[in-house]
Amino acid sequence: MIVTRSWLNEWIDLSGVSTQELIKTFNSIGLEVDSVSTYDVPKKIVFGRVLDCKKHPDADKLNICQVDLGSSVRQIVCGASNVRAGLDVVVATVGAVMPGGLTIKPVKLRGVESEGMICSAKEIGLEDIYDGIIELDSSIGSYTLGEEICENPIFSDDIIEIELTANRGDCLSIRGIARDLCAAYDKSLKEEKTDENDDKRLGIGRILALSHENNLNVNLRYKAVDLKELKLPFVVRLRLAQIENSRESDIESLMHYATHSSGVILRAYNHQFFCNKNETLAKISLCQDENGYASIMTKEDKKASTVGIVQEDEAKATDNGGIVLIEASYIPPDIISKKMQESKMIAGPMYYRTSRGSEPDLDVGLCYCVSILESNSASSAFGGTIELGDPNEDKIISVSKKEIDEIIGANIDKAKITKILKNLGFDTTKSSANNFVVCVPKFRHDITNKQDIVEEIVRLVGIDNIPSKPFSFTEENRLRDDYFTYKKRRDYRHKAAFSGFFESVHFVFDEKRVLEQYGFETIDESKELLNPIVNTLDTLRSTLLSGLLKAASNNSKNGYSSVKLFEVGSVFNSQREESVRMAVLFCGDRESECLSNAGKPPKVDFGFFVQKISNIIGEFELKEFKTTHSLSHPFQSARIIIAGESVGELFRVHPDVEESYDLDATYMCELDFSKLPSGLKTAKNSSKYQASHRDLSLVMPKEMHYEKVKSVIEEASVEHLVRFYPVDKYSDESLGQNMSLTIRFVLQPMDKTLEEDDITKSIQSVLDALKDKLGISIR
Amino acid sequence: MSLLKEWYDAIKEAQSVERIEEIRIAVFGKKGVLAAEFAKMKTAPDEEKSKIAQELNTHKNTLMNELVQRKTVLQTLELEALMRAEAIDVSMYSLSSESGALHLVMETMDRIVEYFSSMNFAVKTGDMVEDDFNNFEALNLPKYHPARDMQDTFYFRDEMLLRTHTSPVQIRTMMSTKPPIRMIAPGAVFRRDYDITHTPMFHQVEGLLVDEEGKVSFANLKFILEDFLKYMFGDVDVRFRPSFFPFTEPSAEVDISCVFCKGKGCRVCSKTGWLEVLGCGIVDPNVFEAVKYENVSGYAFGLGVERFAMLIHHIGDLRSLFEGDIKLLEQFR
Repeated sequence: MIVTRSWLNEWIDLSGVSTQELIKTFNSIGLEVDSVSTYDVPKKIVFGRVLDCKKHPDADKLNICQVDLGSSVRQIVCGASNVRAGLDVVVATVGAVMPGGLTIKPVKLRGVESEGMICSAKEIGLEDIYDGIIELDSSIGSYTLGEEICENPIFSDDIIEIELTANRGDCLSIRGIARDLCAAYDKSLKEEKTDENDDKRLGIGRILALSHENNLNVNLRYKAVDLKELKLPFVVRLRLAQIENSRESDIESLMHYATHSSGVILRAYNHQFFCNKNETLAKISLCQDENGYASIMTKEDKKASTVGIVQEDEAKATDNGGIVLIEASYIPPDIISKKMQESKMIAGPMYYRTSRGSEPDLDVGLCYCVSILESNSASSAFGGTIELGDPNEDKIISVSKKEIDEIIGANIDKAKITKILKNLGFDTTKSSANNFVVCVPKFRHDITNKQDIVEEIVRLVGIDNIPSKPFSFTEENRLRDDYFTYKKRRDYRHKAAFSGFFESVHFVFDEKRVLEQYGFETIDESKELLNPIVNTLDTLRSTLLSGLLKAASNNSKNGYSSVKLFEVGSVFNSQREESVRMAVLFCGDRESECLSNAGKPPKVDFGFFVQKISNIIGEFELKEFKTTHSLSHPFQSARIIIAGESVGELFRVHPDVEESYDLDATYMCELDFSKLPSGLKTAKNSSKYQASHRDLSLVMPKEMHYEKVKSVIEEASVEHLVRFYPVDKYSDESLGQNMSLTIRFVLQPMDKTLEEDDITKSIQSVLDALKDKLGISIR
Repeated sequence: MSLLKEWYDAIKEAQSVERIEEIRIAVFGKKGVLAAEFAKMKTAPDEEKSKIAQELNTHKNTLMNELVQRKTVLQTLELEALMRAEAIDVSMYSLSSESGALHLVMETMDRIVEYFSSMNFAVKTGDMVEDDFNNFEALNLPKYHPARDMQDTFYFRDEMLLRTHTSPVQIRTMMSTKPPIRMIAPGAVFRRDYDITHTPMFHQVEGLLVDEEGKVSFANLKFILEDFLKYMFGDVDVRFRPSFFPFTEPSAEVDISCVFCKGKGCRVCSKTGWLEVLGCGIVDPNVFEAVKYENVSGYAFGLGVERFAMLIHHIGDLRSLFEGDIKLLEQFR
């Protein structure tokens, strides 16, 4: 909502209120100021009058003007097509520095002296109103020739854009905002009394008859004007430019202007549209259209407009003159919004106002509009109005002083409350000692309950004037369930970050085509997103892997030879059920290039990645596994097992995928977050005696899996054996199809120091089991 | 004894610990000079023997002292030479860290949660896919409300939707537990918007406090939010502006003095000197009615975590937060 200081001044006296104060007041009463700009017309630009205007002898488009600047008459050459004798204009005199930086100097234009420039609105830093120079008129108030225009309130105006909240339809007009300001400043609204002098006028009844089927919650009021030679005054044009009006005809623009000023929805109809051939009586009927919208129709059922929504082009009045019917309408916002929800129709620019609540006092708008029309054209209005009303019942709300104080948390003076409510137009005369009985003014659609009344008091008292108070509450342990889930997530994120990975956050949206391409689960069609924002984010992700891959690819393209990322986030299965996963990616160099690795850091490999993951999630086992998706290297993928349960997968990225994402060797893992351990740990009973190590190099077929060897050793339940793990792998020609695998055995009894015999016995039982079950032995 | 004089000089001139060792053997060894001198003594006349022995012993002690001293000096010199050879240009090693970092938005969320946890607020979470009742209807957002426009909300084919705020968590909590309630709901939310200042997914933390009727006031809300904002942003001014939200009444928007220009007015705060950071208010009775709470009062507030992160860490482009961009992330190790 755009307002200007001079425009507001038509309804409220703002003299003595600085722009800064005004902005502060707006913000504190809940009318948020979005932006403020002030016209900054340079000095030495003055009012002038064109006394004489002659064609330039050597230039078709130039005119030589004699311009009265009050103290002197100067010759100015002007190229504007609308310059003419008798016109009052804006003149940049010699020495003026224009907003663009140009300094006005005496010049010769095609041999003719010119001392100054007659300006267009754009040239002096105003909105681009129309082609050509400004044509001044009395709408800017009184002025004297030669006076600097920056002294005039119109040319030094503040343009303030207010971001209105959805409930404040009553502030969608200059008058509405002035009304709210009046309450804040304890002033009264300036209302002009119009003296119609109806006796001499032809009555509207002779040219208009109104009928209606039934009560459609609509209020209508008509006036008629015999339109002649309408010329919109300068200020109206300027303000229409300020509010970015783009109506086609002057009469329509004027309706928009009057609506923006008064808040009343105004329309101008061509009288003839409602008349039968050769008749002068327009017959308008209000009825429901096929979708149930209240509509204005001709007797032949031709639609002229839908009340509060849109006007048909052919029913619109034109600038050509003739009788124009001006309609002021009101329809309650909830009725029109509900209707729109039921059966949508294309709305005109007025719908925004009607759906938020336009001004119900129709007379205010109608009179304002007709008075501008009459004073800026040769038009004359017909006497009286024709109206159709639906008297809405008054809304009455009762709220006690105690309730008000409790909600606000402060003791607000009763007299102050009464004054605030009165200033806002609420009728409080029925109130008792401790109870306010408030009758809500019709224009406040948003006020329906006690809390609404309290809100009004809060905003006019000013939240800054309410002292802060700590809340006293009953102690209770609130560190439970969801907090622990949150904490677990935070702990794992910290571990991953300390292990060298960067946390990334991606949208939970993904591209269905890509997910399907790699064989990931996707959401069932019946549960799919209805209105995705772009094609590449047309579904919910079922994996964190694709987001990490894309991010890795971008980082790699940005020149990072080492990319370490992780994400903890939600994924969705085919039934759109949400679960949390953690995914980790490692690509390229193990560390950054530095002196200690001579600028050639080794690349990440399977073992290194496994070690990194173990730093984050603790101990786990890997079991060979083929992933269900095709992102993985078929011979380097594994299931991660913790305490016998599968918690996720770990793999090298398939070489084809690495290539298509422009990635170096890349390893990834994705874990089911709910299955990651999070409980408190307990210490195991550990031996006080020294541990002994023995390394065995086994010769075994290359294709034999360590998993087998491992399970045979485990099953052998070797005495004193606490741990064993592979430490070296070797193959050469002499070994043929075999390889040598060195396994380290750690032996440690609880109750004694091991003797050499004990060790030999234990190791022998390992060897026996391996020989027996797998047929392998040491080198 | 001139022979010994020679060794005194040799010790003085020795340049290495090895040379000292050679001298020690040559002088004190079994076949050394001193042994030879003592042997000569046997042939000396008896009356001179004790004098010679005394002299020899004095020399022996002095030589030994000289030798040890010289050795110590040489050892020190050698160690120093060795260390000098190991000298490192330390300035070459000003390496950056190899550790990773937490995401700014998540880290900011952690800080927010930390504050409210310490103020005895429970942490509650919920599903991202929600239904109309919990996301809109129960929050006093009737079907025809402009905020429910298709433009703003992601819908699914089965009429479910992606939550547009974390308020449904509050509704679900109230539906399943009795008052008093004191909770925050952190999490991802979704709006159908995508430009420099909007992403289709972002994060919110919303708070809710419910207690007996007449107990919770606007002044209480003001207190905790002022304290919270000073905890998050440091020494800033806090301003409350009356505003409108369907689920609270009275409602306010909360501004802090601009963290970039200290309230003087700059590009970020659109020359106003203030930055909007929070929405809040007293819970609307229609919300309590929807969850069948009676005789209660409460306050609620909500904030965008990305906005906090951007203001605190001076991030210009919101979208850069969702790209896993190491260039940005590595600055926050």
